[in-house]
Amino acid sequence: MRPAPRHSRRLEWIYDAALQLYPKPFREVYAEAMRQTFRDALRDHTLSRRTLIPLVLRDLVHSLAKEHLAMLRNTFLRPALLFNAVVLAGISTVLGLALYSIPQQVLRQGANDPQIALAGDLAARLEQGVAPAEAVPAGSVDIARSLSPFVIAYDDQGQPLASQARLNGQTPTPPKGVFDYVRQHGEERVSWQPMLGNQHGVRIAAVVQRVNGAHPGFVLAGRNMREVEAREEQVRHMAGLAWIGMLGLIFLGTVSFGWYTRQTPTA
Amino acid sequence: MTTGTAPTAPLTPVVFAILLSLAEGEKHGYLIMKDTRAPEGGGVRLGPGTLYGSLGRMMRDGLVAESGISDDERRRYYRLTALGQTTLAGELGRLDAAITSARSLGLLVHGGRS
Repeated sequence: MRPAPRHSRRLEWIYDAALQLYPKPFREVYAEAMRQTFRDALRDHTLSRRTLIPLVLRDLVHSLAKEHLAMLRNTFLRPALLFNAVVLAGISTVLGLALYSIPQQVLRQGANDPQIALAGDLAARLEQGVAPAEAVPAGSVDIARSLSPFVIAYDDQGQPLASQARLNGQTPTPPKGVFDYVRQHGEERVSWQPMLGNQHGVRIAAVVQRVNGAHPGFVLAGRNMREVEAREEQVRHMAGLAWIGMLGLIFLGTVSFGWYTRQTPTA
Repeated sequence: MTTGTAPTAPLTPVVFAILLSLAEGEKHGYLIMKDTRAPEGGGVRLGPGTLYGSLGRMMRDGLVAESGISDDERRRYYRLTALGQTTLAGELGRLDAAITSARSLGLLVHGGRS
């Protein structure tokens, strides 16, 4: 027995509600035709409700997923839109790297400033013939804890002659390669990690200069980089946040532009 | 698929069934649904969502077009385009060759359906 018209109207009402689940552009073009097709199917006496209802339910699930995916593809995955987003993301990444690396270099180079003067002054005094023990200021600097600049005088073989610096009770000595470089080039500015026990526990902004004259050798002026590295870390965080912010803006801009320029189905 | 170019790959069952249905002439959505459900029409059980989604994509690809005629303003009538006819003919030829081959291998009784 065919269901009463009231039952058909209820089914139409339910189908009408289900049509609201389709993407708006699709719905605007096809909802009326789909409603009419469903109405035609309900009135077709050769098609039982037991066949029609499961068919329409399966169709709803399948076509809703398909049309929403198609809308997403047409809205956000257009090649031009993706290309623009990738280019902008690339530019923002370069900017983010610049935002980190430029201040980081400025901070790192600035960390050498007092040492350049200290090493130059000490080398000049030694070249004038002042004894290392007299030329190196008195006092001891625990370079693992103190942020004060310090100086060390070495002989031509790289053995310490006089030193303000102490690390585990000893005068630290940079690798031989540093002295070899300075012997050839006159000066070297390095981030030095003297051994603290078995570990590299401290980083030093070191300036090593050649001492010429009757008693050739080397002078090293250094300073613990703890504060500078803390500032570099702050710069890294700020640059990282700026980069994430730029990527977020690009994402929002791409999504908005994609949404407002989306293609509608052929009417 | 590019607009204006007949597809070279086999058609999907839904597209083939819709093209086959419209080969008879202009039809509205429910008539297409009925045709495609029949075994001789492709045996594809289409609901309105799949039907109109497929028709939209086929219109975009230039295989079908809205005819503009209607006995009811809520019904949309569709017809094959020249490209749609070419595409259907190509697909039928491909299937015909496959069926001929199946018959020659004794996989299909002459005049019967698999």
